[in-house]
Amino acid sequence: MFVRMLRQSFAGNRKRKALAAITVALSAALITTLFALSVDVGDKMATEMKAYGSNIRVTPRSENMPLIIGGRDFNPLRGRDFIDEAGLPKLKDIFWRHNIVGFAPRLTLPVVAADQGSAPEFSLIGTYFDRNVPLPDDPGYRTGVRTVNPFWHVAGAWPADEAGDGPVGVLIGGGLAQRLGAAVGAELALAAPETPLATAAVVRVTGILTTGDIEDQALVAPLGFVQKLAGQPGKFQSIDVSALTVAENDLSRKASRGAEALTPEEYDVWYCTAYVSSIAHQIEEAIPGVSARPIWQVASGEGAVIGRIQSLLFVVSVAAIIAAAMAVAALTTTTIAERAAEIGLMKALGAAPWQIYLLFIGEAVIVGLAGGAIGVVAGYLMAQGVGWSVFGTGVDVRPITVPVVLVTSVITVLVGSIVSSREIASLLPAEVLHGRQ
Amino acid sequence: MNQIDRQAPLSTDETRRKVIGLDSLTKDFGSVRAVDNVTFDVFAGEFVGIMGPSGSGKTTLLNILSLLDVPTGGSYRLDGVETARLTEAEQVVIRREKIGLVFQQFHLIPYLTAVENLMLAQYYHSMADRGEAMEALDRIGLADRADHLPSQLSGGEQQRVCIARALINDPALILADEPTGNLDEGNEERVMGLFKELQAGGRTIILVTHNPDLGAQTDYVIRLQHGRRVA
Repeated sequence: MFVRMLRQSFAGNRKRKALAAITVALSAALITTLFALSVDVGDKMATEMKAYGSNIRVTPRSENMPLIIGGRDFNPLRGRDFIDEAGLPKLKDIFWRHNIVGFAPRLTLPVVAADQGSAPEFSLIGTYFDRNVPLPDDPGYRTGVRTVNPFWHVAGAWPADEAGDGPVGVLIGGGLAQRLGAAVGAELALAAPETPLATAAVVRVTGILTTGDIEDQALVAPLGFVQKLAGQPGKFQSIDVSALTVAENDLSRKASRGAEALTPEEYDVWYCTAYVSSIAHQIEEAIPGVSARPIWQVASGEGAVIGRIQSLLFVVSVAAIIAAAMAVAALTTTTIAERAAEIGLMKALGAAPWQIYLLFIGEAVIVGLAGGAIGVVAGYLMAQGVGWSVFGTGVDVRPITVPVVLVTSVITVLVGSIVSSREIASLLPAEVLHGRQ
Repeated sequence: MNQIDRQAPLSTDETRRKVIGLDSLTKDFGSVRAVDNVTFDVFAGEFVGIMGPSGSGKTTLLNILSLLDVPTGGSYRLDGVETARLTEAEQVVIRREKIGLVFQQFHLIPYLTAVENLMLAQYYHSMADRGEAMEALDRIGLADRADHLPSQLSGGEQQRVCIARALINDPALILADEPTGNLDEGNEERVMGLFKELQAGGRTIILVTHNPDLGAQTDYVIRLQHGRRVA
């Protein structure tokens, strides 16, 4: 009979029920959109933030503090530890390998322009520009500074990573180009006084590089060329890694004091979450003898921005839920007033209060589920619209969104209904059925 | 609640058993006294009329008798139990077990069919039984209208459904408030015939009306004026 009453109640009050469902659907759509954005904004923003460069630097564990002044590395090459180039593919073998957007090894060699007499030394940086690094599951994988540092601006052309005929192509930092009077197409003879062979080599400038950092006062060349000049084949000093990470929180901050500071349970959660610190930890596990350190200016900036955006979305979601609950409460109050005679009759026929509440709550649950289902679909479409208009790509609406929004919708409707259902208890059948004489 | 035997029928062969006992019953609404010091008894199997002009307190008195309202003063004993001592939950139980209500305005649930309106009363009493509800409709000549909504029934048909609903759980006490007020003469006769059949079956009936012809068909009439019993 209860099911029959529910069915007939809906059949006989289509417009009012539809209005309630639409109210819930609007709220559910907003919640779906905001929830999807809230979950996905971390990835989206992390991807956007990759434009600001790498967020993890990998160096040999025994490496000294960097001593770079005015773009020149004052640490002597002799006696330094290096990282073996053959171990680079291991970066894409860690638990969070798919979050490694790219990496660029770096070998810095102090050089002088051979034809400039007593001109001061400057750095020759060897790296990958966009080089193929064959991986077991992706033989065509390419990476380098063009991926890791998309903000690098080159006036001219990017050099090739592999040596060809003629002088090796290099990028020259804007400041150094000005100092040396070099332009695109210029050839420079380099001498590397610190190397055992004191080798000299000629390079050709293919582009002027602007980074706003030390590269503005340096030459950037293919890694193989610099390794050969330095007499360190297959070696380099550091790796800049760009990884997609999630916002830092209390757990990751605790882990930053050392993984041993975590309980086993915390360690599992931390290890299986794409914190910059857990990815750095996994890099250290994958490549023996290295130290991977988050570049906290970048990592914490990402975390702060993403965290604030998620907080904002959460607040707006809560506001939407409260607004929907208030709307449903108003609607239910009106419904109860309109159905006062019906409620009074039920009481007169001997219905227990819970039986009357059950009917209204049953109706509320159905309205909540129907409105929630409509809202999920509408919210999915809205999220895609927002994703394309803001990030230029769709938003990944996780399956968990569906039950979360449905449950939220039902709870919202229940809260709204229960608040106004107090009217039922105070309704006197004598008043609504007979009136008083 | 231990004073109430829910299953005991109010009407038995002991026709002189007192079903309703009012003693100096009073009901005030603010400064207005709607029922003023009314005293009377009703015995099992009696068909009693309550008459009086509009505003005389008839409906207020019926609300108190049906436990839909509470008196301000005096005593109302139902089947020997002082109703003032009953909790709200106990009043609900008595309403659904022992009292059948017939309304002038029918008060059928508009989105339920005729048979479903009867089944609703069954549902609150114990368990909905469509077969039994159909039999009840058949007894009042409305089996062929079972699946019609109230809006598709005439006033007389709606009132008969209302009466069938009041009887579906076999109550011992039937309280009817102007049951023929919205009916034509033919339907009025039919409804009164139904009440007489019910009385013959041993049920106690209290009929509120302002129609002297209907009052004349009851065993005796209690007359109210300005809330007081005048006869």
